[in-house]
Amino acid sequence: MVEEKKEKVIIRAKNVDFYYGDFHALKNISLDCMEKEVTAMIGPSGCGKSTFLKLLNRMNDFVPGARLSGEVTISGESIYGPNADPVDIRRRVGMVFQRPNPFPKSIYDNITYGPKLIGIKKPDLDVIVERALKAAALWDEVKDLLNKSALELSGGQQQRVCIARALALEPDILLMDEPTSALDPIATSKVEEWIKTAELSIVIVTHNMQQAARISDKTAFFFLGELIEFGPTLELFTRPRESKTENYITGRFG
Amino acid sequence: MLKAQKGYEPKRRYLREKIALFFVRSSGIFTMAVMAFILIYIVGHGISAISFSFLTEFPKDNMTAGGIFPAILGTLILALGALLTAIPLGFGAAIYLAEYARPGPLVSAIRLGVANLAGVPSVVFGLFGLALFVTEFGFGRSILSGSLTLGLLILPTVTAAAEEALRQTPQSFREAALALGASRWQAIRQVVLPAALPGMLTGAILALGRAAGETAPIIFTASAAYTLAMPDSVFREVMALSTHILNLATNGTHIEETRPQQFGSALVLLILVLGLSLVAIIIRAKLKRGRKW
Repeated sequence: MVEEKKEKVIIRAKNVDFYYGDFHALKNISLDCMEKEVTAMIGPSGCGKSTFLKLLNRMNDFVPGARLSGEVTISGESIYGPNADPVDIRRRVGMVFQRPNPFPKSIYDNITYGPKLIGIKKPDLDVIVERALKAAALWDEVKDLLNKSALELSGGQQQRVCIARALALEPDILLMDEPTSALDPIATSKVEEWIKTAELSIVIVTHNMQQAARISDKTAFFFLGELIEFGPTLELFTRPRESKTENYITGRFG
Repeated sequence: MLKAQKGYEPKRRYLREKIALFFVRSSGIFTMAVMAFILIYIVGHGISAISFSFLTEFPKDNMTAGGIFPAILGTLILALGALLTAIPLGFGAAIYLAEYARPGPLVSAIRLGVANLAGVPSVVFGLFGLALFVTEFGFGRSILSGSLTLGLLILPTVTAAAEEALRQTPQSFREAALALGASRWQAIRQVVLPAALPGMLTGAILALGRAAGETAPIIFTASAAYTLAMPDSVFREVMALSTHILNLATNGTHIEETRPQQFGSALVLLILVLGLSLVAIIIRAKLKRGRKW
């Protein structure tokens, strides 16, 4: 007997096409991400996985000539509808980038940047900083250095500052764009460890298949702008349905 | 081993190397020598005129005696006024060009305007200032007219330097702020500007150094040959170092007698301009030490 799991869809993309000018970057993508799951996006460079990630918090809005058709909803609300406010969406959907990009400010000011934008003041900010740094597994390392510039930290610590900075807004979803590609193995394992234990819906783009296999619940394989295969990670890596997926995960191309 | 063709033998190449080195090194040394000559000449002729009273007193006896205090003060006031004119306009235009503008006819027109403005001779700015600020707006020959004219003169330099400083600020700062729910302007004001500001100010100060030494733009718009009192409003004329030197050397009845004052004034002006450059260099050095991106 199969146990009935109460899974809730948090991100739903339906028939999404995406263009950069004349370039058709995403072709008819439909995909659901479940709440509190880690969804990994894999595929060779230029396959559209990062483009897909960035349309989930409307960071593609700033690319000239970017155009989307189809529907993307988060918790049932359309994020490209006429009433959607990109700024509001970005508060609900946090993002961590490929290279650690802390502001040239203190650790404290980095973490409080988002909360301050919505008018939160001391002493609430102190509470938020501690909670966010603990959630990013960085508190013990930096609790006495909060006024130090975030740029003086190591790469792995900087990336966790960026995670904490995104978490400070208590987002429903965290998007991660190859978050460990600029980190050394030890820092990578710390970030991976964090992802595995986080109580959060996470969508992560990675070029590292082992990483996807290690940390994700579901995996989506993109190729040339198409979603080739999407399913539970274990299944996708052990019994891929599509030959393209098999070729990619066995290293025959990419 | 391949055999070198005729004209490519090592000996010939060494010779060409030596000739090339000779020319580029001579050019370098010549440039430095010209600079050194000017400095030594001005210092040599001007140093004897410099004294505490020369720097702090008003001119006396048809400028043949006394000091140049009002000219120093006038130059500083005009420079400050130029900066106050050029910074809001130049930084604003730079922010638009670097942060908001997308390629199109408007942006091309603005760039064309900035580039052409930089090529306009300073005397034309002087005449323009005379026509617009002095006559049309009725500001008269005044600190206000002179500051506005000098401000317009350095506007293209200030704009270009500020835009460059903004472009050197990593894109990742903007992305990070936007992804945290900042509006475009919030990202610029809170993250991009603080990072770019030292670079923007360096450019502005270097431009100012040039403006402080300009003569033509202020002859018609701001400078008096001689003032009896301190300016008490922006509608007053002021003396300025550059025009003071010009007046003493060309217009006076005591051209020969005032030679020491002329060189003294030139030396003070030179120190002032070099001082401004020094400030810019210090800011730049601090900036390089402080940033790690």
